[in-house]
Amino acid sequence: MQKSRRFFSALNKRELLLPALFLAPALAVLLALSIYPLIYSITISLQQETVAGITWGLGNFARLFSDNFFLTALGHTFIYAISALVCEFLLGLGLALLLNNQIRGRGVFRASLLIPMMLPSVVVGVVWRLMLNPNFGSINGTLKQIGINTESLTWTASPKLAMLSVIAVDVWQWTPFVFLVLLAGLQAIPQEPYEAALIDGSSRWQTFWHVTLPLLKPSILIVLLLRTMDLLRVFDQIFILTEGGPGFATETISLYIYRTAFRFFDFGYAAAMSFVLLALTNVISAIYIRLIQAEPN
Amino acid sequence: MRTRTREKYQSANKLAHSKATALLRYVALVAALLFSLAPVYWMLTISLKTEVEQFASPPPWFVFTPTLEHYYDAFVARGFGDYLLTSAIVAVASTACALIIGTLAAYALARFELPWRLNRRLSLWILSTRMFPAIVTAVPLFLMMRDLRLLNTRASLIIVYTGFNLPFVVWMMRGFFADLPRDLEEAALVDGDSRLGALVRVVLPLVTPGLAATAVFCLIVSWNEFLFALVLTQTDAAMTLPVGIAGRVTQYEIKWGVMSAAASVAIIPILVFALSVQKYLVRGLSMGAVKG
Amino acid sequence: MGIEFRNVNKTYGDNCVVDDLSLTIDDGEFIVLLGPSGCGKTTTLRMLAGLESVTSGDISIDGERVNDVPTQHRDLAMVFQSYALYPHMTIAENIGYPLRVRKLDKPERAARVQRVAAMLEIETLLDRKPRQLSGGERQRVALARAIVREPRAYLMDEPLSNLDARLRVQMRGELKRLQHQLRTTTIYVTHDQAEAMTLASRVAVMKKGRLQQFDAPMNIYNHPVNRFVAEFVGSPSMNFIEGSQLTIGIRPEHIQVLSQPQDGAIPATVYVTEQMGNETFVFLTVGTNRLIARAPADFRAADESRVWITISKDKTHFFDPVSGEKRATDNTDWIRILSVSSAA
Repeated sequence: MQKSRRFFSALNKRELLLPALFLAPALAVLLALSIYPLIYSITISLQQETVAGITWGLGNFARLFSDNFFLTALGHTFIYAISALVCEFLLGLGLALLLNNQIRGRGVFRASLLIPMMLPSVVVGVVWRLMLNPNFGSINGTLKQIGINTESLTWTASPKLAMLSVIAVDVWQWTPFVFLVLLAGLQAIPQEPYEAALIDGSSRWQTFWHVTLPLLKPSILIVLLLRTMDLLRVFDQIFILTEGGPGFATETISLYIYRTAFRFFDFGYAAAMSFVLLALTNVISAIYIRLIQAEPN
Repeated sequence: MRTRTREKYQSANKLAHSKATALLRYVALVAALLFSLAPVYWMLTISLKTEVEQFASPPPWFVFTPTLEHYYDAFVARGFGDYLLTSAIVAVASTACALIIGTLAAYALARFELPWRLNRRLSLWILSTRMFPAIVTAVPLFLMMRDLRLLNTRASLIIVYTGFNLPFVVWMMRGFFADLPRDLEEAALVDGDSRLGALVRVVLPLVTPGLAATAVFCLIVSWNEFLFALVLTQTDAAMTLPVGIAGRVTQYEIKWGVMSAAASVAIIPILVFALSVQKYLVRGLSMGAVKG
Repeated sequence: MGIEFRNVNKTYGDNCVVDDLSLTIDDGEFIVLLGPSGCGKTTTLRMLAGLESVTSGDISIDGERVNDVPTQHRDLAMVFQSYALYPHMTIAENIGYPLRVRKLDKPERAARVQRVAAMLEIETLLDRKPRQLSGGERQRVALARAIVREPRAYLMDEPLSNLDARLRVQMRGELKRLQHQLRTTTIYVTHDQAEAMTLASRVAVMKKGRLQQFDAPMNIYNHPVNRFVAEFVGSPSMNFIEGSQLTIGIRPEHIQVLSQPQDGAIPATVYVTEQMGNETFVFLTVGTNRLIARAPADFRAADESRVWITISKDKTHFFDPVSGEKRATDNTDWIRILSVSSAA
């Protein structure tokens, strides 16, 4: 009755030919478009252009530590990622808990919530430039209508409010995703533990804390992992909304790398920074994956 | 059985709930809906308003005289028609390539026992390539494409998007293959079909819904992609719609109507696609990790 | 001719699933592989089908070594426990699939599908899809797909286990009849000893990957080679009385329950009785032993009432208490063992 085996076992060497043929194109493409670029990146990060020609060394990496733009961008990336993650998670979880029930028109609701997250990020940028425009944007327009002075509310143009604005846009776009994943997680929880908790007379808060949250933990970890990875590499919306400005108030690492490579054409330094970003995302995802694997399922 | 217990639980729950909770629920629902949709609606109205009405105060949300002049301006007078075509070609071609290459690899990983625990190792390696932040590969890919003289071509985007979508296809399809009972392929083999025959005649027809959903996700990703397109294409010959729109945004004098019109058109295929894969949405957005 | 397993082993890592299996199956036989779950019977069948590789040893079909022959070239037909009907094909397409991959032309295919469908009385279902069928109908389709061509053997992996009890008995009869008609070698895997007894020309009883006994059903029942086989075959199970030198096995029908004392009868206490309608199972306590006896349908006795039993001496089995292997009747006075344990 050993029925749980997952694979066709290869009966002989000839049987390995087919999977090898199936895998070859994919591996070739990934080697060419992921691994080779990475190696290429390493080589250019070790090169520096000087008056004397190209020199090899760790100069680009050494530069990172004294580069204030880089350190500021790193700080912005963290502020952006952590604030957006916390808001999206709390809002998404709250909505999921509130709506984990048969509600009339749920299909329509779900479909409408899809819209922000499926939009091209460039369109998201456009949408919010229109909303946040100090002159004719509907936010200030509406605020003016109800009698609030909007003169200082220049949003993306204000050094103080720009970061808040780009974070708010990310929350707008991605809270529905967190909501949908957590809702799927909630609905996958069997009803028996709830019934048992109900019979045992546990309060709603106790039930949430001792039943819902532990059972939802795998979904929570996965959604946090996916969101964190996206947030750390954020580029598109900020590029459209503020281009990292005003000044450098919203410049994240991805934007600074872009500026270094494609405005100043310092590819070596850009590559060096890329590795810092790559290392950062790898470490953080490794922590998440460790946590996910520690879960029983 | 499950739904019955669920209903029972909910009816028991309802008694415990006050009407206030129900009210709160609907308020939250409507607020979330307005919050999600109003900004998009606002952009649509801008694309349909004359410039005078665009700047009117207070902002007219519902009552204005619609005009299609910005759409005409964008797609006939300016280059957005070409960008649209480029976006479509790049999305379709890269999706087709990624789907063919990725599905074969996914089948090998899902159904053949490879030596040296390669099934797991290769799957994880493939997944990890997707986790690279885009900007990390954008710099070397730009230089590679420059060396290959492929900058400002649609081919460069098709190649890069194929690579970008491939890990996604492999993971999604691996999941769909794994969901199929193995008995079916084994039955096909016993019935005298070859492995390839079993794949074509039994497996592929059964994963068609998954294949279609995966394809739609690839189309959406390729259609929406911005960073690589920005880096690899700077001329009208190969500019995609997002890059075209972004180019207008950062100009000194912004044509809000034209920009909104182009952005509104860019949304249309996405809406159609997104609604068609609703069922697989959560699964797709989480690379198959969550089967919602 | 026929099918032969010669010293076949199958291991997964350190885990030995099939251990040195040797089995020779003659042409036209109906062989049942019987054993509890995890005994290696399904793995054996799958190795024969080519769905599992053989770690060592040889499998041959009609004298040809097939270890390295891929499944599709072994020319076998298999009925899966789940039936494995192709959900996207109609019933006719399902049945015709083995013919289609053998590139038979369409009219020939249709004719043969029709013929098999008539044989199994599923002609009216041909245009439907598998999900529209009941469990019993699906089972017939799976059978039809197996017999539509003339394979060298049929392999059946617990084909009846997903049916309800009544249907299972009916299909069991039909399977047996079908095999009599077709006379094709059949290898049938089950954990249900009743299926093994009724269907098989010979039964191979397996335990933990090892073949225990391979013989005709009645020989398995009447002359089990060890305690495991004796216990696994027969319902209710054989009674065992443990002595220090010897384990005695007695089938429930070989214990006679008497309400009056008789010469040589052993006193016993009724624990409980179960009326089955056509017979009565009497659960007895004899000293420290628990025994089950078969009694006529009208047998009545209150719990804790005193009865006497006699045992048909020539129908008892003896096993080594350590190894469980069968022992020839020896000089030990086994009645004394029983009496001693009953006196205790």
